[in-house]
Amino acid sequence: MSTSPLRGLLQGDGLNGGSPGDYTRLRELLVGPEQSRLEELQRRLDDKQLRTEDLSQIVAEAIALRARRDHSLQKTLNPVIEEAVRLSVKRDPSFLANALYPVIGEAVRKSVAQALRGLVDSINQTLERRLSFEALQWRFEGWRTRRPFAEIVLARSLGYRVEQVFLIHRETGLLLQHVARADEVLDSDMVAGMLSAIQDFMRDSFKGKGGMKAVEMDDGLNLWAQHGPTTILAAVASGTPPPELHDLLQRTLERVEAECAPLLAPFQGDATAFATARPLLESCLLGRQAQGKRKRSRLFFVAFAATLMLAIGLVSFLIARSHRRWDRLVVQLRSEPGIVLTAADRSWGRYELVGLRDPLATDPDTLVRASGINPQKVTSRWEPYVSLDGKFALSREFETEQTALEQTVLRFPLNSATLSAEQLAKLDDIEVHIFKLQSDGARLGKKFVIELRGNTDPSGSEAKNDALSQMRAEIVSSTLVSRGVSPDMLRTVALGSRQPVQRASGAYLTELNRRVIFRVLTESKASQ
Amino acid sequence: MIKKKICMVGAFGVGKTSLVARFVHSMYAEKYQTTVGVKIDKKVVQHPSGEVTLVLWDLAGEDAVTTVRPVHLKGASGYILVMDGLRRNTLAVAVDLHGRVSEALGTIPFVCVVNKADVRESWEVRQADLDELITRGWTVVETSAKTGTAVEELFHTLTDTMMRELHDDDSTADAVAG
Repeated sequence: MSTSPLRGLLQGDGLNGGSPGDYTRLRELLVGPEQSRLEELQRRLDDKQLRTEDLSQIVAEAIALRARRDHSLQKTLNPVIEEAVRLSVKRDPSFLANALYPVIGEAVRKSVAQALRGLVDSINQTLERRLSFEALQWRFEGWRTRRPFAEIVLARSLGYRVEQVFLIHRETGLLLQHVARADEVLDSDMVAGMLSAIQDFMRDSFKGKGGMKAVEMDDGLNLWAQHGPTTILAAVASGTPPPELHDLLQRTLERVEAECAPLLAPFQGDATAFATARPLLESCLLGRQAQGKRKRSRLFFVAFAATLMLAIGLVSFLIARSHRRWDRLVVQLRSEPGIVLTAADRSWGRYELVGLRDPLATDPDTLVRASGINPQKVTSRWEPYVSLDGKFALSREFETEQTALEQTVLRFPLNSATLSAEQLAKLDDIEVHIFKLQSDGARLGKKFVIELRGNTDPSGSEAKNDALSQMRAEIVSSTLVSRGVSPDMLRTVALGSRQPVQRASGAYLTELNRRVIFRVLTESKASQ
Repeated sequence: MIKKKICMVGAFGVGKTSLVARFVHSMYAEKYQTTVGVKIDKKVVQHPSGEVTLVLWDLAGEDAVTTVRPVHLKGASGYILVMDGLRRNTLAVAVDLHGRVSEALGTIPFVCVVNKADVRESWEVRQADLDELITRGWTVVETSAKTGTAVEELFHTLTDTMMRELHDDDSTADAVAG
């Protein structure tokens, strides 16, 4: 039987008497293999190259495992990656630009297209709404309650009603949440699936890239959808929903995506948690149906527009008429003899006339009144002047002759109706005046008579004075007739001492009152 | 409530639609399959962890002119691969489809169904073929749309597999987190 070294050691000297060499040997015997393995491990740990190789074999799996567990790896790497991207851009911006080019081009195109579509929609809508009474009411309400106009449009618009809203997981087509007004007979899970299938069908068949935004049926049933990164929000509406509904769906979807992001990233089919999105979806169940109401409002609109057009037409007609009248008046004033128009202004329904006017000319006010323009709206300023117009020269000559004749006085001695030689001499002038008046009057078409007024001084009885004054007038009349003046033109009046000359007194006054004077009475005056 | 998208794939005429017709909640006519390429049905399965709603995407049958569109497979948690015991070529189609679905979705739970079990004696598909599939790790279920044999079990089996996968994921995550 062989003895093992170990037994030798134990049996021989015992542990107490062993040399250090024995211990080492004992240790080698007991833990020798482990020792060498430890040394090998130590070597591997110390050797950086080896450790790197080891790590490289498991690093991908480790990262994958950790990423599946929680988000701490992403959080840790986030600043590193950000910094790396920043450095990369700093070093060579074109690298990242080239890498992003296909993505950015597409994103910008999509965004611009969407913005333009929104713009066109809103312009259409604005044009449609601009003039409606309802829209004005809504704007007022918006201003009063400080709510956005779009919100009021959605809340107040008639003729549409959102019946159901689906929140669908984009990748699986599974229904996350569904709200509806009434109890739906359709199975919303299947509807959601079919909607996704149809989307896929559209994309697949027509090589589309985006999502289906709207399906519209002839009978006024609409399916409007908005697509987020992970979900689709689809609304089924009857009637004609206003375009603002697209914006509302978009905003709602953004909120849902933001609020449910933690649930969506690792979506495993558990839809229960999405109950939190329910109130948001319910807020999209807007609108109410109003049968016939829309038609009436259109009728109202037509009536309103017609009235407006009529009013505009009437006002234009009135303005045009007053313009015509004014133009005619100005032309008339310019052609009127004795009137020189220097300015004729019109602004905001007021009129102003400035110019020169011969006192003999037609009164401009009569022309204004005849024109049909309200005289109260016309201010005029006329400076007097003397016109050299032929018509006025003749009138003026007539007036001169008249004045001259009326200033002539034939005097008589006391208690006598005989003209002295001196007074008789005056008759020559008188005769000339009368003939001129006659010819001018004929040319002017003016009819007149000359009154010969006989007067006496206050002495003597009234009856006698009347007779004397009558005699004095008739003497003058007959003398004039004998000189060729037509008796039709003359008329004698006996005034006695009833209209004495006031300005003198005493003996001279008495003498002055013994006279015959002349008054030219034109037709209107003569008939009175 | 857990919801899962399930695809039904298989060769043309293997009875995918009739297989499930009596067991699922259905509201769309079969014409959707020929027009849109897919018909959606629903099946609610009772599972120890709660109700599971399976949304079934019954894809148009595979033949010379119809191909399964990968876009319809997207997001599925599991699938049912159907073949017809009476037609051996449907087996080849099923194997090919399995490859294509795996390519599109990765390894996800599925159940292979051999339909028309009521006329098993006339099958072209032999037991050896099925054994070969089983050795590949496939779950093979023999059903009959006509008699309803094993159809309910089919859905339960698939649900169990999917739910186990879901919980495995959870437990792995827990273990690592712990």
